[in-house]
Amino acid sequence: MADSIPTTALLHSSTLITQGAEAKVYRTSLHPGGAPVLLKHRFSKRYRHSTLDASLTRARVVGEARALLRCLRCGVSVPGLRFVDAANGVLGIEWVNGRSVRFLLGSGDEGEEADGNEDGVVADEELLAEYGVSKEALMKMVGTEIAKMHLADIVHGDLTTSNMMLRHPSSISDLPQGMQQLLLIDFGLAYTSSLTEDKAVDLYVLERAFASTHPDSSPLFGRVLEGYKEKMGKEWTAIGRRLEEGKLVACPHGQVDS
Amino acid sequence: MESFAYPHFSSTVHVALFVHVTNAAKLKARIVRASTLEGTEGQVEREAVNFAFVDARLVTSVLHIQTAITQALLAAAQNTLRTKTVHSEVIWALNPSNNITEALRRYGVSDDTTALLVIRIDPLNPSGVKSRMSAAVEGTQVPMSQLASLTDWVSVKKYNKLNVDPVIREAQNNPAREHHLIDNIVVSLVAMKSVAA
Ligand SMILES: Nc1ncnc2c1ncn2[C@@H]1O[C@H](COP(=O)(O)OP(=O)(O)OP(=O)(O)O)[C@@H](O)[C@H]1O
Ligand SMILES: [Mg+2]
Repeated sequence: MADSIPTTALLHSSTLITQGAEAKVYRTSLHPGGAPVLLKHRFSKRYRHSTLDASLTRARVVGEARALLRCLRCGVSVPGLRFVDAANGVLGIEWVNGRSVRFLLGSGDEGEEADGNEDGVVADEELLAEYGVSKEALMKMVGTEIAKMHLADIVHGDLTTSNMMLRHPSSISDLPQGMQQLLLIDFGLAYTSSLTEDKAVDLYVLERAFASTHPDSSPLFGRVLEGYKEKMGKEWTAIGRRLEEGKLVACPHGQVDS
Repeated sequence: MESFAYPHFSSTVHVALFVHVTNAAKLKARIVRASTLEGTEGQVEREAVNFAFVDARLVTSVLHIQTAITQALLAAAQNTLRTKTVHSEVIWALNPSNNITEALRRYGVSDDTTALLVIRIDPLNPSGVKSRMSAAVEGTQVPMSQLASLTDWVSVKKYNKLNVDPVIREAQNNPAREHHLIDNIVVSLVAMKSVAA
């Protein structure tokens, strides 16, 4: 086992943001006075055999890093890589100052309850206005970005509204013109594939996520598909047909364990 | 010279940027000779050039070099260095291939180098680093913030094989955007060097 002291010390000095089933997510700074960075630590699962566990963790970290790089090179809007310690299951990713699409659609962030009061809807509209986009435009951006990813033969494997973020307008002013406001994140289950079936499943997974997370989701998802269709061009025909046929099995490829 | 503290690596790293460098050929010969000299003379010479000398024109941002430094520090702490020293590891991390000779040829000092980043990584944080840097390099020290203005984007694209990337081709007519995208890709490449495909 590698000496884990530096990365452990780094995690200890970072701020815990979320703790999922597989990963703890922190905010930190890697360099004195430097920009904030997100650290994703895939911690060990004690019930698994530890060598097997370590190699599975490593494979997920390596897979996520490679998928992000492939996206960057293909012009899919994703955050950059900043630090990799595969032996300890830690990935450092460019910090995105913004909110998840899930949150912007008024369903709170993963792990929290949706804003249930009657001002809820008004609050979402205000939030979207603060971000300078309409709900429709946001959905279209989502479709376009997924299409760019699929055109590069990258399948996300876990498309949900939590796994896409919108940059806050205040952080866009620091960037050169023409940079995307929407980013896709969480590539832990991503893989490369040119198969219609795999891309259709990716969309189907998102459709299900919309249905289970957002009330009255069908027109929203319709807008996503519009943006997707437009960007995909002639590749859409086969994928659209496959999506309509149904009987898609949402079983992520990359996942080795059950 | 600027110093960066990395408490989790128990290290302070010193970095200086020199332009109008006039002794690159001599410096290169001196580094080669120091490695073979014996006795105290050898020790003194090795300490005099105990730095990572990096061609500054191939570095796109302060973050780019800092990322190479932290990945090298991590490899040193985990005993997984691919090269002999933490200084050569910085240079290895900057080059996309696994060939250290190629990395040194491209990113190290060559006879016609005119802009150098000089880096000292040492957990013992020895004194006199600044004066030894100035003694080794004949040139003008400038603030690190001038790095971006020195970058040779054509060579950066070539060495990192970015010319075929769709995103870079698309951004050709917008230099600010192109440079931003290139910087993000090369920083990412350095960060993931240890697990590159
Ligand atoms: N680059 C980033 N900048 C800022 N916040 C981020 C970034 N990446 C993720 N987040 C926030 O952290 C949350 C969790 O991140 P992520 O989705 O990558 O991890 P996860 O869902 O725990 O991982 P996995 O599903 O692979 O186990 C996101 O929903 C988002 O709110
Ligand atoms: Mg997620």
